[in-house]
Amino acid sequence: MKQILTYILLAGIALTLTIMVVGADRFRLPGNQQDYEPDQPIAYSHRLHAGELGIDCQYCHTGAERSRYAGVPAASTCLNCHKFITATWGAVQEEDKRAAAEKRAPQKITSPEIAKLYAEKPIVWNRIHNLPDFAYFDHRPHVYAGVKCQTCHGPVETMDKVRQFSPLTMGWCVNCHRQANQTGVAGKAVHAPIDCTTCHY
Amino acid sequence: MNPYWKSPTERNPEHSDEFAPGPAPFNRRDFIKAAGFTVFAAALAGCQRAPIGKIIPHDKAPEELIPGTAVHYASVCHGCEAGCGALIKTLDGRPIKLEGLPAHPLSKGGLCAIGQASLLGLYDSLRFQQPILDGQPATWDAVDAAVKSRLNNVRILTRTILSPTTRAMIQQFVDAHAGAKWIEYDPLSSSAIADAHEQTHGTRVLPRYRFDQARVIVSFGADFLGGWISPVEHTAGYAQGRKLDDQTAWHAQFESTTTLTGSNADKRYRLAPGETGAALTQLAARIAQKAGAKFDTAVTGHDLDEASEKLWHARGHSLVVCGEQDVAAQALVNFINDLLGNYGHTLDIAAPSLQKRGDDNALAELARELNDGKVGTLIIAGVNPVYDVALPVGKARYVVCVAQRADETTAKANVVCAETNEFETWSDAEPVSGVVGISQPVIVPRGQTRALIETLAAWLGKPQSAYDIVRGHWQEEISWEKAVHDGFALIERKPVAVKSFDRSVVKSVTAAAGGLTLVGYAKVGLGDGRQAFNPWLQELPDPVSKVTWDNYACVSVGAAAKLGLTEGDVVRIEANGAAVELPVYVQPGQHDDVVAVAIGYGQQMTKRFADVGPKWIQRNPTLGANCMVGVNIAPLLPVGKLVAPGAKLVKTGTRRELASTQTYHYITVPEKLAPAGGLVRPCIQETTLAEYRHDPAAGIHKHHLPKEDLYPPDHKYPGRQWAMVIDLTKCTGCSACVLACQVENNVPVVGRDEVQRRRDMHWMRIDRYYKGDGDDVTVAHQPMLCQHCENAPCEAVCPVLATVHTEEGLNAQAYNRCVGTRYCANNCPYKVRRFNWFNYRHDDPVENLVLNPSVTVRTRGVMEKCSLCVQRIQEATIVAKKDGKLPADGVIQTACQQSCPAQAIVFGDRNDPNSAVAQARKNPRHYLVLEELNVRPAIGYLTLVRDRAGKNHETHKNAG
Repeated sequence: MKQILTYILLAGIALTLTIMVVGADRFRLPGNQQDYEPDQPIAYSHRLHAGELGIDCQYCHTGAERSRYAGVPAASTCLNCHKFITATWGAVQEEDKRAAAEKRAPQKITSPEIAKLYAEKPIVWNRIHNLPDFAYFDHRPHVYAGVKCQTCHGPVETMDKVRQFSPLTMGWCVNCHRQANQTGVAGKAVHAPIDCTTCHY
Repeated sequence: MNPYWKSPTERNPEHSDEFAPGPAPFNRRDFIKAAGFTVFAAALAGCQRAPIGKIIPHDKAPEELIPGTAVHYASVCHGCEAGCGALIKTLDGRPIKLEGLPAHPLSKGGLCAIGQASLLGLYDSLRFQQPILDGQPATWDAVDAAVKSRLNNVRILTRTILSPTTRAMIQQFVDAHAGAKWIEYDPLSSSAIADAHEQTHGTRVLPRYRFDQARVIVSFGADFLGGWISPVEHTAGYAQGRKLDDQTAWHAQFESTTTLTGSNADKRYRLAPGETGAALTQLAARIAQKAGAKFDTAVTGHDLDEASEKLWHARGHSLVVCGEQDVAAQALVNFINDLLGNYGHTLDIAAPSLQKRGDDNALAELARELNDGKVGTLIIAGVNPVYDVALPVGKARYVVCVAQRADETTAKANVVCAETNEFETWSDAEPVSGVVGISQPVIVPRGQTRALIETLAAWLGKPQSAYDIVRGHWQEEISWEKAVHDGFALIERKPVAVKSFDRSVVKSVTAAAGGLTLVGYAKVGLGDGRQAFNPWLQELPDPVSKVTWDNYACVSVGAAAKLGLTEGDVVRIEANGAAVELPVYVQPGQHDDVVAVAIGYGQQMTKRFADVGPKWIQRNPTLGANCMVGVNIAPLLPVGKLVAPGAKLVKTGTRRELASTQTYHYITVPEKLAPAGGLVRPCIQETTLAEYRHDPAAGIHKHHLPKEDLYPPDHKYPGRQWAMVIDLTKCTGCSACVLACQVENNVPVVGRDEVQRRRDMHWMRIDRYYKGDGDDVTVAHQPMLCQHCENAPCEAVCPVLATVHTEEGLNAQAYNRCVGTRYCANNCPYKVRRFNWFNYRHDDPVENLVLNPSVTVRTRGVMEKCSLCVQRIQEATIVAKKDGKLPADGVIQTACQQSCPAQAIVFGDRNDPNSAVAQARKNPRHYLVLEELNVRPAIGYLTLVRDRAGKNHETHKNAG
């Protein structure tokens, strides 16, 4: 009986070790959600809007220099353009061609993704960057100091689906603050506090 | 021997130390089990993935609203009828904090505890959500139809209505219904003052008392800093008068109970409750003699030399006030003030106070009509007369209540019209003639509710929204948009015409029969009890007794000795044909013939506190035997009065321990450890006015101060260094700061049992010290909060560096790092650290909306304490950073500082030599508490200066 137990235990330890070795590169402390890349209710592409079309980050995320939260734009912000742009250019051209072939006036095309904006209901996005409740991050001082959005959020302009680029752990925050105090930000000397009360209160 | 003490038991040699008797020690096996479980639980917890969050932006972005950024709206406080200005901080569409409105002409930026706590009424999940008809939820149409068909012989009963719009609407309603009458009453009545002015000046008017103009104040039982008429305005003026120069104010208090106001007086006289009129008569004779007027009386024997001398010397700048509900006594007060030429200076009757318009005679008339069955429909709005005055409302043929929550009166009503909360609707207020406050909604109403004016408008057949009615009322008179922005407007009102003073009505009053008298009083934290549902106020320690969650029978030290009573003995009090049982509280400084009990307790709505506090196996209930908080003493008091002579007091033999916050947190030195002369820990450093004039630094103890450090200072403060200075001369102990801190910092309510276990959570407390012996005491108040020491003892003992010093001099507490060893609290000489023994109740989703999202809600096992409102420092610093600057001095205000009616607190950067706090630290009166420990606190105090040269006196020289 004792022998069987010992074997089971040994097998368990072996399995644990294997998993640890195989998964070593993916090991993260609890709470670290780096690389989190959830599906969103609208297949919105930052690559298209921020990358190809070159729309400024703060055109939509207006809170970044006015509030603690950068914020997700209200649907009314999307509609500034999408009131008129209801489908992709390709789809519109195709309809034009088809209409010309069928000798009728082209119809208005609305893509199913963009149609979600017209529902007059708030869109429930999945939150990607989620700090614990006891950490208070504020976008404003970082924007005022000239920190690029990409420093923390990564090359969002290349991502079709946004993923959490940085670990957002305390060590990661503090290292950057320490470095900023030495090297400055955007060529200017800065004072990035590393007191506990900078984030925890 | 330390001259200061906190409670009579402390003087008892058996009194031990700061620690409560603990449970049986934990044995080793239990410890291993618990530790093993903890490791296992931690491992399991580590396996969780973080919960998936959602972000729901607006569909259409509202203008001016930036998520995560606070908006402040100027408005009116509706906590009582003082009509102070309020600044409402809203975040993401919900109000989270009430602050004082700095520009307001009356409250001048202060706001009392009751006012600030009124915010919780908005998030009361037990508020009526829809009207009730015959006990069943109903629609407004059904209610309107039912009420309109019964509008005959109408009586409308309200408290003082401050809102001119509502007054006009009620008047319109009364005019439209033949035989209708409108009665106003106040549970804390000032009816006698108005009645006395009707006799002496020909107009029923309540003067506006200008304590800011008074250089000599003599008060007969008026608790004007506590709950009398307009405490915030009075406190602001009173503190302003304590200038400590030649013009500094002098205050004498003649009272039978120990009130907050009496505790601040330069001279406090114990006066039997029946002798107020006699003492006033004698004072009137003295003043009349000096003024050459004719007023003869045979009453003698009161020690009024100093008061009458000072009053006469400062005539035109003196003020006599009286809290007694006795028209003859109030007429004498008017006579004295008139002889002194105070009308027009310290008493304004041309632009009078409109804060108390209750008429006790009209209320008595209504009671008679009810008993005679002459009342058809009784409409009761915003008051609880069944509780307050035991009004037989059931004798009206139809009872309609306009109320926000269920109480004794709504239980007897045929119809309950759910009233909109004051934060959800437009309204206005005119507390003083010509000062109009405009109150704006700051949140969308919850439920199907209507404001009183909307309901009356509907019954008048012209339904309108509150906004239209209020705006329509003021359209012509004020610049609406400016008034809404400012929160108030000043308008021209015709001065109230008064006749010349009629001396014929002033009569000499002789002392009433002696013997034990029951005196009802309003606690600073609860007032008339309309907010008894409010856990913040129930747990706020009374500024004088420091007891929470109960009312109790206060007896003097002398009376307690005579009757063989100790604190916690339950006594039976009989008066006026009724009886109650209450635990005794021994209150030094009270008159021996008085048993004083707070009103406003024992209300049905306090039954909700059955579940307050943490749920654990050893918990004791917060509620008393009657399933309520405290006991109602209204049946023992004559209607409209707070004094019941001929009371009887019998010891029952049972006991009920009170939940006091000042039987612990002593700062004492064990005898064997004390250096020579070091037993005295002068936390309060006090001096008299005469000594202060001789030496501004008088009263500061300079013994045992550290001369130099062994180690050089290793903590540099290159940028800002935060500091605070509290002026004990200005501080009245009103506890507005305690509540401000609680609201701002999400401080939990723990319940009566936990307070008894010495686990109250207030980050800021006000220590109350007595000096003297027996009942011959003076009182000192000292706000005590984390002192943010430079050499902080707590930091040195934290094994996990959860509490550390920041580069700006804050003693930071990182909750997420704290593991709860409590070493820091043990090592704190000021006893200001608070430990979360439990996850305190946050299970009411509506009530949780009041939580400040800028401050972490702490969990079990974490130490917490004052952070000097670091969230406000960070916010202001970040906002100023946009322009590459630091916030100017005075921009950052801590919560306690902002709401202080006396403006006793200064906060700022002491490295900036021009800052107010750096200047205050240079004041010769500046001292540090326990400076001899060399912990170097960042919080300093200015000495308490009162003109307390001699001892206190019995006014009656012949009495014992």
